[in-house]
Amino acid sequence: MNTQTLQPRHQVFSPARVSAIASNTLLELIRQKVFYFLLIFALVLIGASFFMGFLRPELQFQVMKDVSLGAMSVFTWLLAVLATAMLLPKDIEERTLYTILAKPVPRFEYLLGKLLGVLLLLAISTVVMSGMFAATLYLKEQITIAGAIQESKLTDPAQIAEVVRNIKASTFSWSLVPGVIAIYLKAAIFAALTLLISTFASSWIFTIVVSVAVYLIGHLVPVAREYAESGGGAWFARDLCGLIARLFPDLQLFNLVDDIVAGNAIATGIFLQTVGLGCLYVAVYTWLAYLMFAKKEL
Amino acid sequence: MPDPAISIRNLTKVYPIPFKRERVTAVHDLTLSVEPGQVYGLLGPNGSGKSTTMKVLLGLVPASSGSTQIFGRDSALVASHEEVGYLPENPYFYKYLTGEETLRFYGKLCGLSGSALRDRARDLLKLVGLENAADRRLGGYSKGMLQRIGLAQALVQEPRLLVLDEPTAGVDPAGSREIRDLILEFKSRGMTILLCSHLLGQVQEICDRVGILHNGRLVREGALESLIAIENQTQLIFENASPDLLARFEAEAAACGARLVEKTKPHTTLERFFLEVTK
Repeated sequence: MNTQTLQPRHQVFSPARVSAIASNTLLELIRQKVFYFLLIFALVLIGASFFMGFLRPELQFQVMKDVSLGAMSVFTWLLAVLATAMLLPKDIEERTLYTILAKPVPRFEYLLGKLLGVLLLLAISTVVMSGMFAATLYLKEQITIAGAIQESKLTDPAQIAEVVRNIKASTFSWSLVPGVIAIYLKAAIFAALTLLISTFASSWIFTIVVSVAVYLIGHLVPVAREYAESGGGAWFARDLCGLIARLFPDLQLFNLVDDIVAGNAIATGIFLQTVGLGCLYVAVYTWLAYLMFAKKEL
Repeated sequence: MPDPAISIRNLTKVYPIPFKRERVTAVHDLTLSVEPGQVYGLLGPNGSGKSTTMKVLLGLVPASSGSTQIFGRDSALVASHEEVGYLPENPYFYKYLTGEETLRFYGKLCGLSGSALRDRARDLLKLVGLENAADRRLGGYSKGMLQRIGLAQALVQEPRLLVLDEPTAGVDPAGSREIRDLILEFKSRGMTILLCSHLLGQVQEICDRVGILHNGRLVREGALESLIAIENQTQLIFENASPDLLARFEAEAAACGARLVEKTKPHTTLERFFLEVTK
């Protein structure tokens, strides 16, 4: 056999290997039919858009955006946790990991590939959900405009234009995009965190439980920080809250959607800071996952 | 002199038991060497340390002490894996991939791409007799087919060393023979093979050299023929020998002080008999 022709020189880091693992992970998740959750999201969208008829149009759009973006946030987070929690344990249990690491694949590349596969899945899901959301919003907008014109029996083009402008002002806005990016970042943080937990967890149920706990605690970090800095209450409660505020990610920082839906524009500086913080969390959790996984006995 | 394909020197592997102070020594001061082109059988009962030795050799677990090398390179280094193909016991692989996708995936991990990868995947599918199942997902493969695709993935980068852990476990006799024939073919191509198996008959057919592990220690090691030969006995097999001729042989042997230990007709193996009747 001619070994010289087939074996390229080993590279310490190979984007091609990472990409092979990432695309395989994405394929695995797609073939597990994880995108079925989009159907539930579609039902939430329909519910939020067509069963609020008793509210004023502006309020209808606000509720619709609130509910839809909230659902998008929960679904992407849930997808990140559930999709990542089983990746590593399944590969170990079925010994597929042995065959991969027996090839010239460094452990860091394996982990990175797995994470990138999930991040790709989350990106596709976020884009599809955003598309569904934008399409539903547009449809609802058109129906509302037609209804408003019909009800008011306006004939003056200037008045019609005014009605249309008022309705459009409360529907789609480009300011929603930073909110959606923040939703994606939060899910990405949880994908990296879940990957980290799965490197030492004894079961995927433990991984999911810990990830859910971090999610809940992460949303309470501002409260814990405030309590720790208040100077009131028992010292151990203050210290505990201070520790929580330092150890857990502050997930409220990624809740840009609430402000956006309420009509407050997000300053570019704040948005960039949020993106930077999200990337930092992902990088730190991935590095910690590698440190745990590098010494793991398989 | 070329480097040995596998060189294990004073390997000890100790596993701590979680939440206890006790430790389990899975492999104790193991030293062995496998020369290029050799087929080496690593034998031993369950828990004797065979799989741990393989895992250390493949860098899946670190050694507690000692060293392991593959063709002169520290086997803990990822680069040394370029020379190794590995088939674990009862491998599952990714059920959602087809046979061809599986080989292409493993090929990409070894740095193959484009037409070289495509051709290699097709050649391997043909070699292991799965060209007709190339587009079927592994979820629908039989146990024997999974083992064969496992062998194909182990060979994807044309390694010089093949590490096989129970390659015929759970496979029916026909499938088992097919896999054995494939291993013999790799042997004829000069590939070095480290084989772990409980099927001693198969090991005897395939291996040049064996090592027997017991409780983590190498209790016997050497060329197969020298290990299993009974030094003070000789076997003669005649064809069409008359009873008269045999009686004369026996009488002559007795006159010379030799004792006839056994007089029997050679048997075929149950495996050959089974394959003949189920052909």
